[in-house]
Amino acid sequence: VQGPRGGVGGGNDFQWCFSQVKGAIDEDVAEADIISTVEFNCSGELLATGDKGGRVVIFQREQESKNRLLSRGEYNVYSTFQSHEPEFDYLKSLEIEEKINKIRWLPQQNAAHFLLSANDKTIKLWKISERDKRAEGYNLKDEDGRLRDQFRITTLRVPVLMPMDLMVEASPRRIFANAHTYHINSISVNSDYETYLSADDLRINLWHLEITDRSFNIVDIKPANMEELTEVITAAECHPHQCNVFVYSSSKGTIRLCDMRAAALCDRHSKFFEEPEDPSSRSFFSEIISSISDVKFSHSGRYMMTRDYLSVKVWDLNMENRPVETYQVHEYLRSKLCSLYENDCIFDKFECCWNGSDSAIMTGSYNNFFRMFDRNTRRDITLEASRENSKPRAMLKPRKVCTGGKRKKDEISVDSLDFNKKILHTAWHPKENVIAVAATNNLYIFQDKIN
Amino acid sequence: MEYKVEAHRIMSISLGKIYNSRVQRGGIKLHKNLLVSLVLRSARQVYLSDYYSGACLNAQSEREGNEWDITDSEREKFPPSATECDRVESTEEPQPNEQPEKEREYRENDDEVKSDQVDCTSTLQEQNQNSSLDSVAKVSSETPPESITEPKESPSDSAVAERDSTPEANGESHQPPKPHVCSNRKRSAEESESGDSPQKRTKVASSNAKEDEEAEEMDTSNVSNLITIFGSSFSGLLSKESAKPEAEAEDSGQICCDQMLKNLNPWSTAIVAF
Repeated sequence: VQGPRGGVGGGNDFQWCFSQVKGAIDEDVAEADIISTVEFNCSGELLATGDKGGRVVIFQREQESKNRLLSRGEYNVYSTFQSHEPEFDYLKSLEIEEKINKIRWLPQQNAAHFLLSANDKTIKLWKISERDKRAEGYNLKDEDGRLRDQFRITTLRVPVLMPMDLMVEASPRRIFANAHTYHINSISVNSDYETYLSADDLRINLWHLEITDRSFNIVDIKPANMEELTEVITAAECHPHQCNVFVYSSSKGTIRLCDMRAAALCDRHSKFFEEPEDPSSRSFFSEIISSISDVKFSHSGRYMMTRDYLSVKVWDLNMENRPVETYQVHEYLRSKLCSLYENDCIFDKFECCWNGSDSAIMTGSYNNFFRMFDRNTRRDITLEASRENSKPRAMLKPRKVCTGGKRKKDEISVDSLDFNKKILHTAWHPKENVIAVAATNNLYIFQDKIN
Repeated sequence: MEYKVEAHRIMSISLGKIYNSRVQRGGIKLHKNLLVSLVLRSARQVYLSDYYSGACLNAQSEREGNEWDITDSEREKFPPSATECDRVESTEEPQPNEQPEKEREYRENDDEVKSDQVDCTSTLQEQNQNSSLDSVAKVSSETPPESITEPKESPSDSAVAERDSTPEANGESHQPPKPHVCSNRKRSAEESESGDSPQKRTKVASSNAKEDEEAEEMDTSNVSNLITIFGSSFSGLLSKESAKPEAEAEDSGQICCDQMLKNLNPWSTAIVAF
């Protein structure tokens, strides 16, 4: 069910409009350019993307121009740097991909910005700082850096700071390596701003941001005999306010909430969230589609959201036996699971996100569609990120997938969906109705139109 | 029998994925391979369940009843004594059915019932709320419409079946099989064939198939051998190392099989090596 003008979010009818698109227009997409993570910083001023080539691109929002009241500030490239390089593990003869799996911003404490970026094995803390002054008048070297002849120096002078063109520098301040045997799938900064957790398939480690040579292992689900392996960790996140609480999701569709005060090793959960399986919907692929690909706490800390292959579920932390809300993302795919298994799409890991007020949630789908659900009105909308709808401030038209019977005009039949165009990563500005949607190698930014 | 064909196809696809994962950049992805192995196991269950549907030996099914429960399938290791029987049965089972399967596929479009096994299956589906067979129904829903309707039509179509066996009677003479029926590995191959009249057709075919064992179709024998390898969670790889494919072939299934056997189960060693 869609609103009259297709808006979702908050209490009003919002209208999503195209704002910007970043990335190459080429039909031929270089693998390295595929965006693998998107994240706003805590204020929403900065927007970071990571890609398969190991690069991080940070966009900064322009200050609002008084001349253009109708549209908010645009995001422009602020900094680009190579975060991770491909590595080779010689002992295991394995290549380690440079793909950035996750970026998480630290809360800003001074003029510089800090973020954590992780590939499969290593987490790095990057400092992004601005330099707009330069010292001039050194004693020992010329303006162009050449050392002066020491015998020529007859006087001493104090260097002065002169303004220069703004330069944004990114430097790796910490490298947290060699702590994960399996592939890192999540990192999450703790609310104490001192620690963070990193999770791989079987273990979760707790780090101190200042200490790189060791970490605490807080969850270990590796069985003594690997042949008995039945489930893996798929995502983990720290609670937004309670620094002793974190959750992790599993490939079996369960979520465990752990309290670090209870024990050093949180193998025993404090809460266990699982919805009983509907036996009538069992199939060969039931286990795959129940695997949770993302878990996110609400900003309030009262709820959490999980994404599995076909649906998004909102859980109340006080109720473990079932979610309080379930939203179908693309139920029409349930009859196509076999084909999606063959072409590997069934293994796609979709993420999900909350809006700033926790009243709406968003997640991606195929054919460059993404879905938004309003938790209050129960309305949902399907929108598309495409170059065709990319005129400035053009309003997005709601899309609809035809599931059977006669296809109406403007509807798309399930068989026409392009499964190579998948939206796995989306992000919602923490305070405003601005969203970033990663469509393969392009980053779309949409804003709500102010009337 | 569409669901068997489907199960077989899913097993081949799954094995291909596991093989390909070893050459993918970034190393073996544990999560994906775990999921693929779960699908492989489910498909294997369905694939093999048919052989035990008719001659359901209740004594053995009670004894080994809980071993192959779907939800517990990952946890149990098959008793070593069952290994041999499993291998024997598995290598034989796909083969007898292969030709009848092919014939059935050709005739699918005619909407005829191919064999009593379909009748058995439909009877089973009616009697059994078992999820593995439900999953079969779900899987078959993805195949062309004719095949979806066939299991349901079979009781009525049995009258027009070309063979003169009595499917209904056969279906009813056996107790509803349970999900763990396919774990009755200790039954001898003969027993499974003789006790099941719906498999008359397959018995006739099987005598030919046994002679042709050496010249078996590449896919089926390789897949069936790999089925035995994946018999029990990952431990199947360790216990079945002496199982060798009968025939040589060029396709990736064979390469996969050979590699796995020659390298002493690289999959499990790869996991352990992690």
